[in-house]
Amino acid sequence: MAESLEFEGLVARYYEPLYQFAFSLTRAEADACDLTQQTFCIWAAKGHQLRDASKVKTWLFTTLHREFLGSRRRQTRYPHVELEAAAADLPPVPPASVNLMDTPQVLQALAQLEEIYQAPIALFYLQDCSYNEIAETLQVPMGTVKSRLSRGISRLQELLGGETAGPHPEQTHL
Amino acid sequence: MNLNEAKTILLLYRPGTADAEDPQIAGMLALAKREPEMARWLEEHCARQSVLRAKFRQITVPAGLKEQIISEQAVRAMTISRQRRNTVFAASAAMAAIVMFLFVLSSSWLPHHRNDDNTLAIYQNQMVKIALLGYYMDLATNDAEQIRAYLAKNQAPSDYVLPAALQKVAPTGCAVEGWQDKKVSMICFRTGKPLPPGQQSDMWLFVVDRASLKNAPASRSPQFTMVNRLITATWTEGDKVYLLGTEGNEPAIQQFL
Repeated sequence: MAESLEFEGLVARYYEPLYQFAFSLTRAEADACDLTQQTFCIWAAKGHQLRDASKVKTWLFTTLHREFLGSRRRQTRYPHVELEAAAADLPPVPPASVNLMDTPQVLQALAQLEEIYQAPIALFYLQDCSYNEIAETLQVPMGTVKSRLSRGISRLQELLGGETAGPHPEQTHL
Repeated sequence: MNLNEAKTILLLYRPGTADAEDPQIAGMLALAKREPEMARWLEEHCARQSVLRAKFRQITVPAGLKEQIISEQAVRAMTISRQRRNTVFAASAAMAAIVMFLFVLSSSWLPHHRNDDNTLAIYQNQMVKIALLGYYMDLATNDAEQIRAYLAKNQAPSDYVLPAALQKVAPTGCAVEGWQDKKVSMICFRTGKPLPPGQQSDMWLFVVDRASLKNAPASRSPQFTMVNRLITATWTEGDKVYLLGTEGNEPAIQQFL
């Protein structure tokens, strides 16, 4: 009984951010629901192996990300093309103020980035994760996280029509 | 360091977070205070960051997802628990001495634990699985009275009361299902929406005795829960618990209540 209450508490605390992370990666409600559910299912089977209770959040996000990568690998081996996928081939959104964008447009821009940039950026904006937390979740060095974030955000802002800090022909030295 | 290199570092800065404690970022923030052009860029960057953060957080979570995760896990845990019990029974059957122990166990301990199986969430989950994963229609007919007669003949609940709106929907047939050694009447309906080839029904009503559910709804006021991909409405009337399920959202099912 205590275990089930504990499980319910964990679900109540993390299902929304996990779903949002999953949705930002998959952009499909059913896939995001499946990933979130699968993550808690794995927690129920293996969560007791986690010794450090402060790592629960990182553990859940890492697990969801791994499951996402696994499902992507399976889809690559057995491609399943839907009409919506064609949208990814559309040219980048025209320059406009980020303010005028809605969430689907922002996620569409995220989808146009290389895959290595997508998860760090989603964690960066959704969860206010520290660079170290993002590094732990994605299991890459912190320097890699920072460079991926920097390039990814720059590219995302380009796609959304905002000003970026990319290389400039006439650089002002400070 | 040039201006663009400084901006590249500050791209990682999110106002209102602990990012400012990062030594590299802290250095660039200090620099921005001294450089008007940098300060202007930083102000715009912070505004963009706030907007992007807000956009990401506007991703809405489907209603009922939490309940679905919890009920799926409860069903899974019960299945594992049953499998483990079955293993214990099989091993024990070989030893006569333990048979006595099992007898005592089954007369005292097991019934106590069975009570945990009869929660509403598990019932909803199992019935929705029946509707979605396939069932044999015992009687295929559009005649509501024939359905009632068939259920009565098979000792399943037949004196159910349909909501006025549901009475106007064409039934497609019925089946008798089981729950906690009790019979469940499953009445199938067709709402009129286009159906895939081979599918006859897209809405299902399950009726079971109230006594077989530990936490049945207290009143006729329906509780809405998303279970798997069905929106369900559950309510109690008299000595029966009613569970209606169909694909869609809450308004989609409310029109039948």
